[in-house]
Amino acid sequence: MRKKLEGNGLWESSRMMLPEHKAAINAYSESLRRRVRIELDEQEWEQVSRVVSESLLRRQPISVRLFHPVELLTVIGIVDRVDELKGRFMVDGEWFPIGDIEGAALEAE
Amino acid sequence: MARDRVIMLADCQSFYASVEKAEHPEYAGRPLVVAGDPERRSGIILAACPIAKEYGVITAERLGDSLAKCPDLIIVQPRMALYIDISLMITHIYQSYTDLVESYSVDEQFLDVTGSLHLYGSAEELAALIQKRIQEETGIYTRFGIGPNKILAKMACDNYAKKNDSGIYTLASDKLATKLWTLPIAKMFMTGSRMTRHFNAMGLETIGQLAATPLEKLKTLMRRKLGRNSDINAELYWRIANGLDDSPVTPGTHETAPTTIGHMMTLPRDYESLEEIKVVLLELTELVCQRCRSKGYMGHVVSVACMGADYSKPSGFSRQMKMDDPTSVTNQVYRYAVQLLKRHWDGLPVRKVGVSLSQFAADDEYQLSLFEPNQEKWMALEKATDAIKRKYGDTSIVRAVSATKAGQAEDRARKIGGHYK
Repeated sequence: MRKKLEGNGLWESSRMMLPEHKAAINAYSESLRRRVRIELDEQEWEQVSRVVSESLLRRQPISVRLFHPVELLTVIGIVDRVDELKGRFMVDGEWFPIGDIEGAALEAE
Repeated sequence: MARDRVIMLADCQSFYASVEKAEHPEYAGRPLVVAGDPERRSGIILAACPIAKEYGVITAERLGDSLAKCPDLIIVQPRMALYIDISLMITHIYQSYTDLVESYSVDEQFLDVTGSLHLYGSAEELAALIQKRIQEETGIYTRFGIGPNKILAKMACDNYAKKNDSGIYTLASDKLATKLWTLPIAKMFMTGSRMTRHFNAMGLETIGQLAATPLEKLKTLMRRKLGRNSDINAELYWRIANGLDDSPVTPGTHETAPTTIGHMMTLPRDYESLEEIKVVLLELTELVCQRCRSKGYMGHVVSVACMGADYSKPSGFSRQMKMDDPTSVTNQVYRYAVQLLKRHWDGLPVRKVGVSLSQFAADDEYQLSLFEPNQEKWMALEKATDAIKRKYGDTSIVRAVSATKAGQAEDRARKIGGHYK
């Protein structure tokens, strides 16, 4: 009951919303939050491959930013393997697609 | 000090009827109503266009009564999915002026334009601009109540903008004494006929009288009239009367997790036997559980409501019970729902049945139960049927009882909010 007097409570308790209408509003606002893939240019790819090989050869921990439709996804760790044929790389035993890379940097010790 | 907010409540005139008129240019200038199906007892006026209203047609009256007043009436079946689409289209237009837009119902939306006004001049100029654009793009006439908060915007719209020629009205804080407090109390937001009677019995005839009553005195008055738990409502009405409201326009308001998920339906005819009522009870339980599963919830409390068919002798019940464990498996919830029905139903014919679940827990973790050794299997079965329904429609797989005379699943799948899609 008390909620009616707090925040947006008065309007949340008195509104008339069809569940289908609510779902449509939420689907739209979620579509706005969807991220689009960033295309890397040549120089950026060069920077990424330098960082990745640094990690692979000298066991340096790095952070790799990967594409994800809704979340901010960063993989942090040491690159164990790079499989260029299948377009993937392995960090701590898990494979990730190379095509999803949006950036990479050495982790500060 | 922070700048005063500028809030608008934009309301679409006779929304469903206006959408139909825009979709059917051939009906321009003729009286039109959107009405449900008389044979399935939803034959009431959902919306009447202004021309039909001139004939005396009023919303929510029976179709027959309207036809008596206006024999040339054009009757259109509702298309709920279309109305939702148009409502979203209008939302997108509002969103091009401010990102703070909150839908209050299918035809009413709040806009906080405080931060946009420097681009458009006065609030009234901006309202007129949006009003014109919506008229051009959708054919719908919108009215704008403007105020420093949502309460005043809403009351400005209901009491003035809907009645003046421009469809735009600003109720500023310094105009309350002359423009709000002089109105009869029935014109106040949230005050229906029942509350009007109560307030009148307390000697409060105008909104101003209520606003001027000290809060403590109003609490005492309402406690005496409406019981001990009236303090919060007293404060609520007192704030409304004084035009006090600090609630923000909240665009993400519909994303908050629901506290209860329920379905209710009016039956096409009165159901008299337990067997028949159980059929719709199962169908409603299925829908409720399906919605819970799609959100990843399990409910712990189930409630069942039945309303008697005879309006002159109101009967029926609304009872709830806590289940042993939270669940979203239809058959398990149904077992409790039937228990409630058997315990509380008085045997009289029923016209309305509802089921709801509340007290949610996430469904990715659950208690192992001695009595439900097959919980995993049940959940897998429900997941599979849900997937089939998502892909091929709600009627692609139904329970056998839905094929009996009492079954409503098929009809319900074609509806939104009790009216045809």
